[in-house]
Amino acid sequence: MPEIEFLSIFQGIATLVASEPLILVSRIALIALGIVFVYLGVKGTLEPLIMIPMGFGMSSVNAGVLYLSASTTGTLFIDPTASDPIQLLEILQIDFLQPIYTFMFSNGLIACLIFMGIGVISDIGFMLIAPFRCMVIAVCAELGTLLTFPIAVAMGLPYNEAAAIAMVGSADAPMVLYTSLLLARDLFVPITIVAYLYLSLAYAGYPYLVRVMVPKELRGIKMDQTTIPNITKGEKVTFAVITSTLLCLLFPVAAPLFMSFFLGIIIRESGVKQFVEFLGGPVLYGATFFLGLLLGVLFEASTILNPKVIVLLFLGITALLLSGIGGIIGGYIVYWASSRPFNPVVGIAGVSCLPTTAKVAQKEVHNANKFAVILPWAMGASISGVISSAIIAGIYVTLLR
Amino acid sequence: MESFWGSVKLMLFVYALAAAVSLTVAWSIKMIFAGVKMQKARAAARAAALAEPSREPDNGAADRAD
Repeated sequence: MPEIEFLSIFQGIATLVASEPLILVSRIALIALGIVFVYLGVKGTLEPLIMIPMGFGMSSVNAGVLYLSASTTGTLFIDPTASDPIQLLEILQIDFLQPIYTFMFSNGLIACLIFMGIGVISDIGFMLIAPFRCMVIAVCAELGTLLTFPIAVAMGLPYNEAAAIAMVGSADAPMVLYTSLLLARDLFVPITIVAYLYLSLAYAGYPYLVRVMVPKELRGIKMDQTTIPNITKGEKVTFAVITSTLLCLLFPVAAPLFMSFFLGIIIRESGVKQFVEFLGGPVLYGATFFLGLLLGVLFEASTILNPKVIVLLFLGITALLLSGIGGIIGGYIVYWASSRPFNPVVGIAGVSCLPTTAKVAQKEVHNANKFAVILPWAMGASISGVISSAIIAGIYVTLLR
Repeated sequence: MESFWGSVKLMLFVYALAAAVSLTVAWSIKMIFAGVKMQKARAAARAAALAEPSREPDNGAADRAD
């Protein structure tokens, strides 16, 4: 029987022991953090759709490091650095998640698939109830997306990276992924993880922001539901086709996002049940699952050793906080300018975390006045937020790519 | 480090442009609605106009019967 070295059997432990102290601590910390994400996801504190696959991916990839040769270590999950065609072809046959990364992730396809799903679950009719009011709120709710940009530059980030992290303020994680892939490829993993992490927390944090900024008597304002016009499918489809064409014409770099979102809307309105169920079910949730899993698997120890990660964590929360404040300011502007009663809480829904922020707005209003319903306007503001975020993403990418 | 004031100027430009395009989208919705409303009104008027002559022979027939 040959001499057996036990550490050569348990290579995950062997590579852990052999690594530098900083890598060792980082790997253990990420394994623990991954487990915490799974726990908080299962518990419902963080968004389970993303956090469970992401946390599990994080803990698995940081545990499963092995010796690929006598001197190199790696995993059998993915190699995001592979760029040489021959090397890539080889890795595609070895690393089990590499095909999804190469053919769906690094080209932004996964973000577009999620956008198609979001389009299918979005009733554009809500936005058409009061287009100007919804859009004013949405533009105000981009405050974080805009103000974080110079803050990030002041903290030492170059323009492209500053714009990529500022997009967290749009509260639209697939959009953040798409923008960071185009603007800051080296940082897209930490930026997207920061976005998803904070978006999960926003659901818990925004209600407090609403209570701080809007007094209870204003939170309880009832809105007149009799003024909601009846919008036909034809009108919705006409709007989607014209707007998508216009936006693709203006910002071709973001055209895949615009097309995907409005295609989802048109599919929904066309009433082709099979497509609606396919895009709103398997495509949306399949893409979300693999997005979470891949982000987790890409979050290796070397990622958190990047000193920029601390800066990104600060900027991400700043962006979301400013966007929330901006959205409520937008709600107040419409409240003061509108001739009809308008609940300023709708403003928080302008932060386009569809449909989470709309639900937060409705819940806060319901707590203040159980007869008040603002969900249609809140959904309208949220959908407008998706459109305004895509417009800003298009401008940033066009100018800074 | 890239210029901070440059980034502030760029931010203002991006915000202004994004606001202008977003409000243009909202305006296009208004225009679509106005167009649809106008078309509906025109179609209703045309339908009423077509209905008018068809009523006249009936009236004539009624007159003759009297």
